[in-house]
Amino acid sequence: MSTAAILKKNSKLFLPVLSMSIFLAIWQVLHWIIGGEFLPSPYQVYLEAMRMFSIKIGGNSVWMHIYYSLRRVILAYLLGAATGLPLGMYMGWNRTFDKVVKPVFEVLRPIPPIAWIPIAILWFGIGEGPKIFICYVGAFVIFVLNSYTGMRYTDPLLIAAARTYGATRRQQLFNVAIPASMPSVFAGVQNALSMSWMCVLAAELVGAREGVGYLIIQGMDMYKPPMIMVGMIIIGIIGASLAVILRRFERVVCPWRRDLT
Amino acid sequence: MTTKEDYAREKKVKVSVTDLTKCYDELLVLDDINFDIYDGEMLCIVGPTGCGKTTFLNTLARFIPATKGEILVDGVPSNPRCHNIAFVFQEISSVPWLSVEDNIRFGLKIKKLPADEIERRVEAMLELVGLKPFRRNFPQELSSSMEQRVVIARNFALNPDLLLMDEPYGQLDIKLRYYLEDELIRIWNELKSTVLFVTHNIEEAVYLGQRILVLSNKPAKIKEEIIVDLPRPRKFDDPAFVKIREHVTESIRWW
Amino acid sequence: MAQRPNIKIECRNVSKSFVTEQYTINVLDDISLQVEENEFLVVLGPGQSGKTTLLNCMAGIIMPDAGQILLDGKTITGPGPDRGVVFQQYALFPWKTVMDNVSFGLYIKGVGKSKRNEVAQKYIDLVGLQGFETSYPHQLSGGMKQRVGLARAWANGPEVLLMDEPFGALDAQTRYAMEKETLSIWEKDKRTVVFVTNNVEEAIYLGDRVIVLSCMPGRIKSQYPIDIPKPREYTDPRFLEMRRKISDDTELSL
Repeated sequence: MSTAAILKKNSKLFLPVLSMSIFLAIWQVLHWIIGGEFLPSPYQVYLEAMRMFSIKIGGNSVWMHIYYSLRRVILAYLLGAATGLPLGMYMGWNRTFDKVVKPVFEVLRPIPPIAWIPIAILWFGIGEGPKIFICYVGAFVIFVLNSYTGMRYTDPLLIAAARTYGATRRQQLFNVAIPASMPSVFAGVQNALSMSWMCVLAAELVGAREGVGYLIIQGMDMYKPPMIMVGMIIIGIIGASLAVILRRFERVVCPWRRDLT
Repeated sequence: MTTKEDYAREKKVKVSVTDLTKCYDELLVLDDINFDIYDGEMLCIVGPTGCGKTTFLNTLARFIPATKGEILVDGVPSNPRCHNIAFVFQEISSVPWLSVEDNIRFGLKIKKLPADEIERRVEAMLELVGLKPFRRNFPQELSSSMEQRVVIARNFALNPDLLLMDEPYGQLDIKLRYYLEDELIRIWNELKSTVLFVTHNIEEAVYLGQRILVLSNKPAKIKEEIIVDLPRPRKFDDPAFVKIREHVTESIRWW
Repeated sequence: MAQRPNIKIECRNVSKSFVTEQYTINVLDDISLQVEENEFLVVLGPGQSGKTTLLNCMAGIIMPDAGQILLDGKTITGPGPDRGVVFQQYALFPWKTVMDNVSFGLYIKGVGKSKRNEVAQKYIDLVGLQGFETSYPHQLSGGMKQRVGLARAWANGPEVLLMDEPFGALDAQTRYAMEKETLSIWEKDKRTVVFVTNNVEEAIYLGDRVIVLSCMPGRIKSQYPIDIPKPREYTDPRFLEMRRKISDDTELSL
């Protein structure tokens, strides 16, 4: 087989590997240019990662830190879904309710989750409370917005069609509007997870004793740039993995979405 | 009934297509298509649904590369830089942020024609399609038939070597279709352009075409060539018209 | 003495306008018509003649400004399963399979699963989509989607079938095939049909009677009973004569 043919056959793997290699090469070059204290080399980061995974930091292994962060995210996320989705959907479905709730929501929405940290600490003390709350706020807003949009912009033709079959308002809601808003809801599901994950780091940076954010703070306190970078890379990999899992999940739940396949 | 030899006698070949083939991986869509388009001719292409008419047009217009085969315009291989092949799509493709007259100017500006020539052509086209009173309106302000006329004016203003039309009247109501088809014939007569009109509608093909090429089902080949030598304006209830229409329908049916 | 025909659905002095700041359009102006039971009525009109508005009023999706619409003598007040609609843009539920789409009406009525699947299957077979029961709409061509639309409306057993330019988005050849199929389904499962179109050929092929609407204001211009026996031939001389007559009578909307 010619080189071109071999490349074509493994093309799915080839391009990502190529782009990764280019990325690492650029990193290495920058390391040489900028200097070791500011930008550790890829190899140094790799060594540091090996070290970190074999010891305990602040009393917990790296896996435990990852677990703590994930736990916060998932709790906040599920709470956000349980409260945000029904609220957004009902706002999208019921015009009167929308008119009443919208002004309040529009004012609260632009407040970034991070701005809630001080008041969260005031309310929940320093512990799991504020961290979960911050993640919750981030996820909640996204869930509301996406389910609202999905509901509001359901194709009116489909609702008209359902009416001609004698569907009651309730039947229209459950049989047409909710399924029709699923694609939008799923976009929200993914965005909310990314948002939660980003928020947990912010929350952990302000007083935590475990979590991936804590690892980064430790790296900063101990003046170990490689440690900071390992922390960042862990964050990136977990964030990406969560996104992939969700996309798989969506393909199962929404098989009619041809643009996903 | 005019024979093919009689028909071709007085005419010059404008576009020559030889061995046109198109494969998508394993799927053969166009299979060794050979035909000529004569200068100033109105040629219609019909075929069964899904036979690859759009692929055929796209290959001809060079939007997609052919797997094999040659397209010669005036004896020279077709080259978008020196040859003018204009395309009217099924979906109305007027530029929404330009007024009617700017839409017509659009193609001419791209071809970098001298300014006074551009103005002369814009005026002539506005007059020809009857859109002079609407020259400063925007396409969204017009009805879909008027929008389609803007696109036609824009394409004809370029004085193209070949005008390719892909079922431009598909979604319009039937009386409007007849009206636009009459208008197309009028403009075509005025400007003596070479037009290739692809359609699913057999009656439209018989109404418009001097010659009809029938494509077979996938992989598409030229199945039959039919000369339509009826006088214009043609009438759908004229027995001779009906006869040709039935002939074409039969030809498409038996793939 | 001929038996008095049974009027299934009728419009009495129906009017509807659309009002904007600059002008008022009389989309429908004092329309009165009667459709007999099991009649195939075609409403023919050019582009903006208000024929879709008329159909939507009959379906109950919108309410007329004046006049009433009666089904079996009773005024209608909204949409309902007694009037089934086939839409031009199909309006299929993309998250449902063909089988679930077709059985939708029965599902809303509360019919049990096995019974409604049985009925749905009958209509899926009738429109020639056997084998596609578990497919999703996005996997089907335009013609197939509309066949699902037909099956769905028909399977619900409505008193009147309202069809809003159902083949308008299809290419000419698929359209002819669908016209033929609609006629054959109607012959097997007779029902009152009101069919809206802008295509004269289609109108004459399908209709027992063709009503021509004028444009702005939308009024009934003329009526043509079509006496040619079905199934009809598009190139039959009587067909063409009818076509010439009606074509000359319709307006051109530029």
